[in-house]
Amino acid sequence: MDTADIETKVIQFIATKVENLDASTISASSKFDELGLDSMDTIQLLFDAEDAFGINFEGEEAKGFRCVGDIVSYIEKHQMSAPLTKNEGQA
Amino acid sequence: MRVVVTGMGVVSPIGTGTDQFWAAAINGISGIQKIRCFDASSQRSQIAGEITGFDPNTFLSAKYIDQTDRFTQLALLATHLALEDAGGLDAYAPQCLAVSIGSGMGGFATFESSAARKFRNQSIPPFTVPRTMANSAAAWIAIKHRLKGVNLTCSTACSSGANAIGMALDLLRAGRADAVIAGGAEACVLPLTMTGFEALHALTTSFNTEPARASRPFAKGRDGFVMSEGAGMLILEKEEGAKQRGAKIYARLAGYGQTCDATHIVMPDMDGQVAAMHAAIRDAGMEPDSIDHINAHATSTPLGDIVETRAIKALFGDRARDIAINATKSMIGHTVGASAAIGSIATIMALHTGTIHPTINLDEADPECDLDYTPNHARQKQPRNALCNAFGFGGNNASIVFTTP
Repeated sequence: MDTADIETKVIQFIATKVENLDASTISASSKFDELGLDSMDTIQLLFDAEDAFGINFEGEEAKGFRCVGDIVSYIEKHQMSAPLTKNEGQA
Repeated sequence: MRVVVTGMGVVSPIGTGTDQFWAAAINGISGIQKIRCFDASSQRSQIAGEITGFDPNTFLSAKYIDQTDRFTQLALLATHLALEDAGGLDAYAPQCLAVSIGSGMGGFATFESSAARKFRNQSIPPFTVPRTMANSAAAWIAIKHRLKGVNLTCSTACSSGANAIGMALDLLRAGRADAVIAGGAEACVLPLTMTGFEALHALTTSFNTEPARASRPFAKGRDGFVMSEGAGMLILEKEEGAKQRGAKIYARLAGYGQTCDATHIVMPDMDGQVAAMHAAIRDAGMEPDSIDHINAHATSTPLGDIVETRAIKALFGDRARDIAINATKSMIGHTVGASAAIGSIATIMALHTGTIHPTINLDEADPECDLDYTPNHARQKQPRNALCNAFGFGGNNASIVFTTP
């Protein structure tokens, strides 16, 4: 998936998880608090996203997430690094 | 000072809402089936009382569902029904509205599923702790209904619901609340929890192919209890306040007795049970002769039903045979911390309607269980003063006296 695909999927995912929120009002720069999410809501959202995207957010890095784009960047980065890690493991 | 019951809400394997529950109870309907909520093929006990039609989405937002265990969700539904039945409690200041809830296991559905994730090296839901903690049901009831008074949770295993109702009586008598939402909730039809009870040989294993016959208190051939889930809630108020706001009054909560066997962690003790029943009757200002109905704890374990029978005979003497006894668990199984709350609702409905629901599956009684357990068919009889028993692991014995208003 390229960045745009991931962004679209993350935005669609957030729209399904947050009540009364239309996907068209969400962008990569949308901050979680602007979407009506408090800190605990955000933690819950990230947990749900782990299962939805088959990814594991590292605690320390995820603590710094402030906006939708942070999730997109993390997924993109770890999606790319996954095959590399696998190759290293095989070596 | 008199305390009255002005609302009831129940979620049980034989019905949600008092009307549905009571219609099934007086008709002797069993709510026990093969376990559906997980693959129970490797369990020794493969049957349970499940709330099969329960969908939290019908009354809770996605956010509430994320943050609550199933036992809390059952408690919230029972509370909603009880408050609706009572016509709301807006007449009271939020600071004077208390919550007193019993649960034996708390949020064990969350605990088991999060533990399974952790052992697979997966991250666990962020609300694992607040969903699991025993007081989460009481806390969420307060949050949802803005109840800012005393908020207590009692965990005394199978007697939790009775203790929670007794604590509510104490709160009202002490002037610490004007009204209390009191009851119990449990949702532990779960693989680990059931395996734990199996390991103690507490669950039935001989009726996996005949679920409706499995819960058979006082009957020959009973071999353990049937795990079940549910919630029961009462709205309790001082009589004066209830009358002032024009509430309908189902019954009076007249007395509460509690003792501890202090003998064994799981084996019942007759003396402790006698003492709890006697304490409740004295607390109500009565003598044992006044009691004409007992909703027994009666879990369908071989030993427990005999000990309770002996305790009733020890306290009531020859009169024991004249008392109409019944066992709600014969139909719904054992809802652990909710059982005495649901049993209380059955007791109150007996006082309110003049009908004693049956103990089903009692075609042939155990020779050591030789009292009148209202076998198989409901009985038209107007009780005046009724006892509801609850005995739990830890040697806890709790009895409650309800009377007609």
